Amino acid sequence: MLAVIVSGLAIGAVYAATALAYNVMYSTSKVLSVTTGHLCMLGGVFGAWFIAGLGLPVPAGLVGAVLVGALFGGFTEIVGVRRVLARSDEHLWLLSTLALATMLQQAVGLWWGTEPKPFPRLIPQDFSSGLLDQKYWLPILTVLVMTAGLEAFYRLTLWGKLFQATSEDAFAARARGIPTDRVRLASYLLAGALGGLAGFAAGQLTFAFFALGLTLTLNGFIALAVGGLGSNLGALLGGAGLGLLSAFATYWFGGEYQQTIAVGLLMLVLLVRPEGLLGARRVRPV
Amino acid sequence: MRSPAWMRALGLCALVLGAGAAQAQDRPQDPIKIGWLSSLTGPLSSAAIAENQGVQFAVDEINRAGGINGRKLELLTRDTAGEPTKAVNLAQQLLFSDKVQFIIGPVNSGESLATVPIVARAGIPNIVIGSIDELIDAKKYPLAFRAINTNTQWISGGNAYALDVLKRRKVAVIGDTSGYGTSSAKTAAALLEQAGVKPVYSVLIDPNKTDLTDEMTKARAAGADVVMPWTAATGLMARILNTRGDMGWDVPVVGHPAVMALPIKGLLNKPEYWQNAFAAGYQSTTYVDGKLPPRTQALIDTVKPALGGRIDFTFWWVALGYDTVKIIEHAVKSAGSTDPQKVKTVLEGTKDFPGVYATYTWSPENHNGFPDRNIVANIANTFRDGCYDAAPR
Repeated sequence: MLAVIVSGLAIGAVYAATALAYNVMYSTSKVLSVTTGHLCMLGGVFGAWFIAGLGLPVPAGLVGAVLVGALFGGFTEIVGVRRVLARSDEHLWLLSTLALATMLQQAVGLWWGTEPKPFPRLIPQDFSSGLLDQKYWLPILTVLVMTAGLEAFYRLTLWGKLFQATSEDAFAARARGIPTDRVRLASYLLAGALGGLAGFAAGQLTFAFFALGLTLTLNGFIALAVGGLGSNLGALLGGAGLGLLSAFATYWFGGEYQQTIAVGLLMLVLLVRPEGLLGARRVRPV
Repeated sequence: MRSPAWMRALGLCALVLGAGAAQAQDRPQDPIKIGWLSSLTGPLSSAAIAENQGVQFAVDEINRAGGINGRKLELLTRDTAGEPTKAVNLAQQLLFSDKVQFIIGPVNSGESLATVPIVARAGIPNIVIGSIDELIDAKKYPLAFRAINTNTQWISGGNAYALDVLKRRKVAVIGDTSGYGTSSAKTAAALLEQAGVKPVYSVLIDPNKTDLTDEMTKARAAGADVVMPWTAATGLMARILNTRGDMGWDVPVVGHPAVMALPIKGLLNKPEYWQNAFAAGYQSTTYVDGKLPPRTQALIDTVKPALGGRIDFTFWWVALGYDTVKIIEHAVKSAGSTDPQKVKTVLEGTKDFPGVYATYTWSPENHNGFPDRNIVANIANTFRDGCYDAAPR
């Protein structure tokens, strides 16, 4: 039973990290980018390539994976979001980011191959460590640090306050001289870096696999919806909850029901508590 | 009354086009066109790339020797990227625009399900290399002949090794949640029950599930003395072996050929986790006392230099690709033409045609050419030149 809890929390941590990346991008653009899960995929694939393929040391591999994630995050903003937001209020970003995500997945599949490939051991540790194995606790630790870091960033730094100002009212922020376009680009770079970091930390759990992105995009979104859009603590709780629910659903009912139960949870939350566990309740002004 | 000028012009055009079409028909001096639907990119491309080596090699070899009955082969390769919709479009292009005389493929069963009826309606012989049982039906698809084994033959081979050789009776069956994995696990459980063995544990797992501790713990708790995975997903297969190894559970694993696929090697936590693992394999690519069957060895010796002196993929894919073209050569030579009905008659009367991959027999009732006896069990971690050692009996 403990094994189910630990493995559920570990994969839940990856969902939570994806939800955090969603939050960061959403805060400045009100866009839920389909490329979010692919940021983690890039972290895993490029981390494996830098360390196992090019022979770089682990810290260099980590920096490289984070950089690749950040670059793709920035690319998403420039190509898939900026022009769409400038020209239309409709939700066309859904299509533009879906197109980008599909192209990225195809490109990585062609270059990296469609079979999962090994992710190197990051810290020397025997494989018989059971539930203390780094493949479980590395993603959990990483997402905790990410959440704490993001909270500190929002509360203690000027850029964090700029993010918040843009999030609350982009027009008012721009009227007060905040360069909202640059803030939005910075938020996509940050989300990309976080996704790359999460994918790197979870590489031993997920392998370096080109098709991981869409799974994480969906499950990260469910974690976000459950926890509450905009809340980092909610993302953490939503991810952990979804991971545990999936693990127990598989344990009790079998793998064929895992995805149905996860999506069922999304439906339930949307019907009963659309703002999520910790999301801000929307009040209609009268 | 004279018909208008435009009608006469149209009639003339129709005559000219008709004559052209007639000329496009089979003529003794024209090359024999073979359409090859291969998923050279996309999922499962590794199998297709290796099969392509065999197909290409056989075509070159036959052309160097002067062709078939003096006619050269023209190979038209089309990359389906593993997508059924693309496969359908390309099959139609090959059939109706390129007017091929034979179709080989596609590689994946999902694509084949979409294309086999189309090729059948066009009345063109189709050498099928998808393994799911539904692809072959001598009545519905009279010109489709399978070269590869069926999925049931793989599963029967694995079951026979686990039950009859290893003498195990408490079986844990693992499938994945894909269509292929689900139907394979069902077939495996049904065949086991026919043999009087009810699996002690059966489970379907999402191929991307990252941790299998609970499934493997349950299998052990259920008293399983053999684990039988029927999935083509190498990531899932590696996780089964890793979890077994990390648990320190020395239970044999017997299953799908993916157990011995080379990419597994890199995904294992420790090399020894690949021990005590066996897979359904082929007599043609199995070392017995360190030796391969002469036909396989001869093909390896010929092909290897062209592959840079090393073979780092499963060789039966190459052998299968090679045989598909040799089957066409046999059919055309024996029939004396590429006429589909004559080719059908020859193939339906073919008994023990010696290929590299297998020895084929087709009949009017059964268009599955691969014999049960050509399936054997292999030791997973014994890859050499794309072939494996025979499992101990």
